[in-house]
Amino acid sequence: MEKTLVLGIGNSVLCDDGVGIRVATEVGKKVSDPAITIAEACQGGLFLLEAFLGYDHVVLIDAIQTKGGIPGQVYELQPEDFPSALHLSSPHQVDFATALKLGKSLGLPMPSSIDIVAVEAEDVTTFREICTPEVEKAIPVAVEMALRKCPAHINHIRED
Amino acid sequence: MTKIMINPITRLEGHGKIAIFLNEEGEVENAYLQIPELRGFEKFCEGRPAEDMPQIMQRICGVCPEAHHLAATKALDSLFNVEPTSTARKLRELLYSAFFVTDHATHFYILAGPDFIMGPESPPAERNILGVIGKVGLEIGKKVIQTRQQNHWVIQTIGGRGIHPVFGLPGGVSKVLSEENRAKAEEIALQDVEFARFSLKIFDDLVLKNKEYLDMVLSDTYTHRTYYMGLVDENNKVNFYDGKVRVVDPQGKEFTKYSPSEYLDNLSERVEPWTYLKFPYLKKVGWNGFIDGETSGIYRATPLSRLNAADGMATPLAQEEYEKMYAALGGKPVHHTLATHWARLIEMLYAAERMLELCRDPEITGPDIRNIPTEVPSEGVGIVEAPRGTLTHHYITDEKGLIKKCNLIVGTTNNYAAMSLTIKKAAQGLIRKGAEITEGLLNRIELAWRAYDPCMGCATHTLPGELPVEIAVYDADGTLIDTARRS
Repeated sequence: MEKTLVLGIGNSVLCDDGVGIRVATEVGKKVSDPAITIAEACQGGLFLLEAFLGYDHVVLIDAIQTKGGIPGQVYELQPEDFPSALHLSSPHQVDFATALKLGKSLGLPMPSSIDIVAVEAEDVTTFREICTPEVEKAIPVAVEMALRKCPAHINHIRED
Repeated sequence: MTKIMINPITRLEGHGKIAIFLNEEGEVENAYLQIPELRGFEKFCEGRPAEDMPQIMQRICGVCPEAHHLAATKALDSLFNVEPTSTARKLRELLYSAFFVTDHATHFYILAGPDFIMGPESPPAERNILGVIGKVGLEIGKKVIQTRQQNHWVIQTIGGRGIHPVFGLPGGVSKVLSEENRAKAEEIALQDVEFARFSLKIFDDLVLKNKEYLDMVLSDTYTHRTYYMGLVDENNKVNFYDGKVRVVDPQGKEFTKYSPSEYLDNLSERVEPWTYLKFPYLKKVGWNGFIDGETSGIYRATPLSRLNAADGMATPLAQEEYEKMYAALGGKPVHHTLATHWARLIEMLYAAERMLELCRDPEITGPDIRNIPTEVPSEGVGIVEAPRGTLTHHYITDEKGLIKKCNLIVGTTNNYAAMSLTIKKAAQGLIRKGAEITEGLLNRIELAWRAYDPCMGCATHTLPGELPVEIAVYDADGTLIDTARRS
């Protein structure tokens, strides 16, 4: 049985920063399949690498801020969308691409596919447990996108 | 489907920034480290039950939730005036020791190692863990990952959850340790001790036996004479989980030793107009600007500071390494910022040895894990040593235990003034009139700052990497002339 990890990343008490965790939680309410694990993470780098180990597919959900981005915009991304990160050192740990490359170099059981759902954030510096209005509205959109990334398990989606 | 390319620097608007200003001669006039601010934390906490603090506080930082969880739990002990049971104290310390092993190992191999193993002038694309395994071998990378995974297992098993522990309660913990899990943790601790010793040997071989690196460690560019802070036990030995905060002066003489509840008698905070973060300093010395020495209240709270502030390590192998370091660097205290890497490895060995001691303590699997609080709460302070420095949590509640006020001094904040000093001195020592500002040169400036392993809370989980940092160099007219970016 192929295993899928749906991983929300962020800080659930820091406004839009926690949108990834919110989306992952909602995905968890909609799927009922032992092959799908819903989890959350608060750090990138090696934590992501370690979280990925042993899964065949990963759907990563995070907040993102891009130049000129519109809050609430939802993106589908791939790890290759972060090429420059590999060529920059990190002040605290390793970047995403380096972590993935490290996993492959060490021969660790890495997933064959990694999909990223990212939601454009507006406020990631205010302590509160809900997102800004536009980002709140984007949560169902991101949930649908994340669910579509688990095609093998689509038949197991619960009807609410 | 929308496809975009992302510049990692755009992940967070409020990234850390090092701004270097040159004078008309092209020499460094000033350097500033600006750190972004998070808003509304006090308000966020107000009115919440104090018992929620260990869960909420650990979410303010993605890197050291364990430290915040335990500082908050200890603040609750103090708030409810309840002593944890002996087994509970030991379980807390065991989890915390496993956390220190994994955090310090990560720092050395992922963050500090590349500078020394690959060299500070090596291209950024090679100056990372991939470069390290390319040079030293794949086994190192596997060992780092294995150490992290095993110690995360210990944290999860004792703490009840992997990332955000849930076991800390006022007066104790929520879960006993089974004999089966104790035995497994003991096995992991044994491996940790060996890995820490191996890491110290690597440091010895690659750094201490390399004259160029040793000269760099000892150079004036990376040296400051400051006060040093760290938590000590009743014998003045380093302790991460409990004890009193001891501060020594730049000569190494005890300046003060205080209980958590006395922290406000000893520390004040300086506000500067160019940054949001405040600068804590020693109240009894006073703030005399961004200078080091005995007349400046600037102190450091780092692994090296903890060793400087203590009389030694409480475990035998770490004590041996402690003595070796001070013998090699000319006695106590050591003022060389880059020696922090050495101190961090000695602390890793101590954490591993302490973990082993605790795993072999008959009480560790005991059933008596909690004293139930019976008193009306009012005010409490809890202090632990976070990997990056002394961490203080202070809560004031109403009689129902709802938070009225909370104050934190986090590990990195302690070192903010010292980091600013360090960056300025490194910039002044390295940027010379007329000389080209190269990538390697900017890395050498950043290297000084990296020794502190600064952690800026929420920003640490950014998708493409970690907290983005930008170094900007301005000429005498304020025109931007060079930048370097780290993601």
